[in-house]
Amino acid sequence: MFAKLKKKIAEEAATGPRTGRMPRSMSKESITSVGADSGDDFASDGSSSRDDLSSQILRRNDQIRKLEVKLSDYAEQLRLMQKTKEKLEIALEKHQDSSLRKMQDQNESFQANRAKMAEGMALALDKKDQEWKEKMAALEQEKASLEARLEQSLSLFQKRDEQDELEGFQMQELAKVKHMLLRKEEQLSLRERELKQRGEELNTARLTLSQTQDKLYELGEEHEELSRINSQLRTQRDEFLSEKEELEKKMTDMEAREQELQQLIQQVSEDFQKAQNKAKSLQKSMETLQTEHSELKLQHEQHKSKVAMTEEERQRLLADLQEKALSLERRLEANLSQDEHLQELLKEKSTLEQRLEDTRGELLEERTKHTTAVSTQEAQISRLNTNVSELQTLLRHKDDSSRSYRERTDSQIADLEQRLTDSSERLKVLEQQLAESQTHKEKLQAEWLEERERLQQQVSTHRQRGLEKTAKLEEEILKLQREREAENSAQSDSMRLLVEEKDSLLKSKAETENTVEELKAELQQSRAELSSRQTVSVEIAKALEETRKQREELQQQVAEMSESLQRAEQEVHQLTEQVGVKEAELSSLREDLQTTRTSLSSLQAEYEVFRQEAEQKEQERNSQIESLRQELLTHSQQHDSYQSKVFDLQSEVESLTAQLQDAEVCVSEQNGVVAIGDLDQLQKANKELEQQLSEKNKTIKQLQQRLAELKRTFQKELKLKPDNDTDGKEKLSDGRQERPEKPSTETTVPAATSTPAPTFSNTTGLAAITPHTTVTNSSDLMDTREINFEYLKHVVLKFMSSREAEAYQLIRAVSVLLHFTREEEDMLKQTLEYKMSWFGSKPSPKGIIRPSISGAPSSWS
Amino acid sequence: MGGFFSSLFSGLFGTREMRILILGLDGAGKTTILYRLQVGEVVTTIPTIGFNVETVTYKNLKFQVWDLGGQTSIRPYWRCYYSNTDAVIYVVDSSDRDRMGISKSELVAMLEEEELKKAILVVFANKQDMEQAMTPTEVANSLGLPALKDRKWQIFKTSATKGTGLDEAMEWLVESLKSRQ
Repeated sequence: MFAKLKKKIAEEAATGPRTGRMPRSMSKESITSVGADSGDDFASDGSSSRDDLSSQILRRNDQIRKLEVKLSDYAEQLRLMQKTKEKLEIALEKHQDSSLRKMQDQNESFQANRAKMAEGMALALDKKDQEWKEKMAALEQEKASLEARLEQSLSLFQKRDEQDELEGFQMQELAKVKHMLLRKEEQLSLRERELKQRGEELNTARLTLSQTQDKLYELGEEHEELSRINSQLRTQRDEFLSEKEELEKKMTDMEAREQELQQLIQQVSEDFQKAQNKAKSLQKSMETLQTEHSELKLQHEQHKSKVAMTEEERQRLLADLQEKALSLERRLEANLSQDEHLQELLKEKSTLEQRLEDTRGELLEERTKHTTAVSTQEAQISRLNTNVSELQTLLRHKDDSSRSYRERTDSQIADLEQRLTDSSERLKVLEQQLAESQTHKEKLQAEWLEERERLQQQVSTHRQRGLEKTAKLEEEILKLQREREAENSAQSDSMRLLVEEKDSLLKSKAETENTVEELKAELQQSRAELSSRQTVSVEIAKALEETRKQREELQQQVAEMSESLQRAEQEVHQLTEQVGVKEAELSSLREDLQTTRTSLSSLQAEYEVFRQEAEQKEQERNSQIESLRQELLTHSQQHDSYQSKVFDLQSEVESLTAQLQDAEVCVSEQNGVVAIGDLDQLQKANKELEQQLSEKNKTIKQLQQRLAELKRTFQKELKLKPDNDTDGKEKLSDGRQERPEKPSTETTVPAATSTPAPTFSNTTGLAAITPHTTVTNSSDLMDTREINFEYLKHVVLKFMSSREAEAYQLIRAVSVLLHFTREEEDMLKQTLEYKMSWFGSKPSPKGIIRPSISGAPSSWS
Repeated sequence: MGGFFSSLFSGLFGTREMRILILGLDGAGKTTILYRLQVGEVVTTIPTIGFNVETVTYKNLKFQVWDLGGQTSIRPYWRCYYSNTDAVIYVVDSSDRDRMGISKSELVAMLEEEELKKAILVVFANKQDMEQAMTPTEVANSLGLPALKDRKWQIFKTSATKGTGLDEAMEWLVESLKSRQ
């Protein structure tokens, strides 16, 4: 081993200086020095001057020396290691020897111990046997003494027990006698109680007797009352009977009266018939009178008619005569000269008048006659009439009287009949009552008799019972007294007998106890002998077992010792083997170290190369970005210039139009021809400019659409790769910058025409993202992102919709959410202030946007 | 320019709008308080993602009241609204004992802001109608209000749904704002 190491070291020392490049060894110093040297080597390759070489050689020589010194150190160390190893081996051998010796010693000592133990055990056994025997003898003596004592004590105990038992018996017997006495006393008391009860019963029976006697008296009283009632009822009956007789008498009277009345009625009816006959005859006469009266009336009427006829004839004659007279007067007047004639005529006239008067008188006479006749006749009629009416009234009276009489008699008869019936009914009722009362009376008497008999019987029975009971009780008492005496005698006899039995029992007991004691003593002796023998044999067996166990333990110890020895030897072997293995491992590890170091150096070189490449790429990308930005700037500038041009043109157009209007006004007045040419030209220029403007506007719109599409794709990509919130917001801010910075979006228009816009936005955006994006799709991040997005949306919406005053307050929030730069924020504030104020000019976007774009990378990174 | 004119304008008419922020944890009742102050009615609210701004006139004083959403994720944006704030109404759910510590830490962080150094603090111990509500003194102690220095503050027990305590709080706020001017 050592030789090999030495050789290795020597080889390394020899090869080291030749190759110029040291293989990297353990110490750090060497690595650093080598690294430095390698750097120098590169340099020296380029320019090889002798001074450098000499210096290098010197350095190398120094190094070699150092290494040699180190080598010698290592060699010394190795030697020391060798020595220690040898020492260790010696020590091991010593240890082995010592252990073997120890083992042998232990074996010997063990065997000696064993022999000693065996002898000691034999001696001890003998001693123990002797001791046992002595002890046995002592124990036997003790036993004998104890047995003697036991006998004494036993006899004593037996006597005591007997005494106790006798006392117990006596006590029991006494208790029994007492018990018997108590019982007898109890029986006596019971009997006395019964006697008392019987006496009480007797008393109660007597009481009941007296009560029944009282009841009897009461019943007698009741009987008297009842007889009284009976007599009363009898008197009532007599009264009723007398009433009945009276009523019957009344009845006969009434019947007699009835007969009288009936006779009367017959008479009255006969009278009535007579009166009726009379009335009939009167009516007949009245009828005849009436016929006469009618005849007379007829005659009178005939007379009247005759009188009237004659009067009329006379009146007619009078009228004729008056007319003759008148005619004669006129003849007279006409024949004034004819006085005679006149006189004759007058005479005639007077005669006529006389005749007239005569006839008149006659007439009057006739008339008076007639009237008298009529009056007489009328008087006769009236008389007759009065007669008739009187008769009629008479008839009526008679009828009424007869009717009333009849009614009266009828009612009287009915009343009498009713009375008769009532009285008969009352009679019947009274008879019934009488019968009932008689029956009741009979019943009561029967009941009373029965009760009386019963009570008498009860009383007699009670008396008999009481007497019987008293007799019985006396007999019982006598019996009980006799029994008591008999029992007392029996008890005394039994007492005597018991005492005798007790004596006999005590005697027999003593005998049996004596026999028992003897048997017990024998048993105990035999038992003691048996136990002593058994114990001796058991102890011997125990001792033998113990010796066996000891022997076994010793054998086990020996086996354990030998095993431990073997183990120690095995351990020694293992240790030596491990030492060898470790050494091999050491060498292999050293080799590995070397290889890893070489690989490390190569990897470092590769890393450097890669880094350089990356740097170059970054530089390229930065340059690209910068170039793109510059382009953007130029485009924005161009756009601005275009816009300014447009403004200028517009202003020109406006001025021109104004001029035109002025000119037109002027032309219409002065010279219209000259201005028209200029107008046409101006209008053409105007149209051209307008066309240009519209085209530019279109391109702007297209570009804006493209931009919007790109933003959408961008946002989608972002959503697919959700980074931490800041990145998302950056992206969103990119998207949202459009609204507040309208001019900035417009600046991108010309840039899009020359260079494709998507490359610009994508490269910048992705370059910013890709280094950071670690694709982690956790839901929490999504949620927070969504909430942040919603918040942003809400804030922006409010910002756009709210009043200027509120929007001004919101600038801060918007700019924080969208990660605006300070300049952008200031710009927003200025624009809002401009909007809020009534005066002032719109802040120019140029000066603000440039820093925003140049300052962008710092915010995006 | 605009600022000048607005200041001139407000100077002319004497109606400068007071800017008040309503802050507090989510679900404390900020939005309900805002609309209770504005229209005097209880409105049904949803969790505010963002903010609500309303102009509230109280005793001839115009307030521009900002109710900022109190969700955990958007609490960091509160500081965007701190500038030019005259008063802060800090709303606490008195029945939410578990989150009182969070409320305190948010309040402390807010009060440390330089922009709010001159703002008056009004704490609303809200939801006093709940049975398990803490008393105003308990709320004040758990928020560490007694330890505040160089700060004008007051605590009021309120119930936005019942409308109790809001008038007293606004009265105090108006008086203290007037006295500060």
